[in-house]
Amino acid sequence: MQTAHLPLCHESALAEGQALGFDPDSRGQDTLILLRHQGLLHAWANVCPHQGVPMAWRRHAHLNAAGTHVQCHAHGALFDRASGLCVQGPCLGQHLWRRDVVVDTHGQVHWLRNAAHA
Amino acid sequence: MKITGLETLVFGVENLGDCAQYLKDYGLIAVREDAQGGRYEALDGTAVELALASDPALPQAMPNGCLLRKTVLAVADAATLDAIAAELGKDREVKRLADGSLESVDDMGFTLGFALTQRRTLSRAGEISNLPGSPFQRPANHLGVDANVGQIYASTLSHIVYFVPDVAKAEAFYVERLGFRCVDRFTGVGPFLQPGGSLEHHSHFLIGAPAFMKGVEHFTFHFTGPNEVMQNGARFIEKGYQPFWGPGRHQLGSNWFWYFNSPFACHMEMDADMDLHDNAWTAREVPMGADASQAFLLGYREKWMPGPGTSENGDYA
Repeated sequence: MQTAHLPLCHESALAEGQALGFDPDSRGQDTLILLRHQGLLHAWANVCPHQGVPMAWRRHAHLNAAGTHVQCHAHGALFDRASGLCVQGPCLGQHLWRRDVVVDTHGQVHWLRNAAHA
Repeated sequence: MKITGLETLVFGVENLGDCAQYLKDYGLIAVREDAQGGRYEALDGTAVELALASDPALPQAMPNGCLLRKTVLAVADAATLDAIAAELGKDREVKRLADGSLESVDDMGFTLGFALTQRRTLSRAGEISNLPGSPFQRPANHLGVDANVGQIYASTLSHIVYFVPDVAKAEAFYVERLGFRCVDRFTGVGPFLQPGGSLEHHSHFLIGAPAFMKGVEHFTFHFTGPNEVMQNGARFIEKGYQPFWGPGRHQLGSNWFWYFNSPFACHMEMDADMDLHDNAWTAREVPMGADASQAFLLGYREKWMPGPGTSENGDYA
């Protein structure tokens, strides 16, 4: 299975507690969320398990107001930032889909997209 | 009971600034705004009110993340207010607040207000399409669209959609206690409800859902027609907001729709041109599905024109 390395941003673009949306395939719609939580980067598909829809309310607005969870702003579902588990909302108990990212020696963050994500 | 529609929706939020900017970009006008909250009105004075989630003056929050604290219904006269107070007072507390309005609760736990309507009658017309021979046309020299028009403002609060754990019980409360009637129904989902003092297809739609989802699916204001919905919606996207569904036109109610994600833990819609129904109407019941939900569905596109630089597949590449 061929894996593509798609550059997202420099890791310094994400401070602790921050999340950003990315459109690595130039679809005109952010399809990937990158966040930093307890120092670690986590990447999630920008797809709610409830109805398969994008989750921000405004570009990059992927967290709830308190900044404690990823939130789907379609119906308010809350997801644990590190595990992707839905802890409140229509998709309670389901998980976000994780995306694999790697930080290279220059600090550049890449999404490792394999054919399953095409 | 002459309930005429929705008057005000009250939300308790933590991010007042974000929520306020969202409402203003949507097309509501800030008539009161400070560090504690604000009031954001459509052109007729119907409104969304924001307050800090910690504000002790707000009705209690539902335990599942729903940010709506109160749905204020509009009534035409004091006699209706008295009738509502008498009816609901039979089996629940009805408070009379300092502003003269009533506050109580429905059978699902949504806090309700009832207030004499302060709605201003709008003097603007809905959008009119010119057709040779039609008796309804724009006057000569009135343009159909202005691409450079300033902020487009919502005309009036239209409807709200609740997720409810017991549709039959929820519907019975509005029908039997408050004089609503079912205008149409999606089988196995829920009813579109019209209050007794309005001809609009619905002010409420109820969707059956598990108890942990109890809350709001969406709410919306009316715009003047499809042109405003699409022009305002396109601008909203260009400001960075996230569309969810639309633009399109529903079948039940015929309203044009465009739904957006929002910071209110529910969708906010732009809608226009809803059908009117009176007592001669027989409610339809249809199975829910993509075909039944809309007559057609479109999507946002960046502006484009044919010419140099066009890809070999054209606009639909």
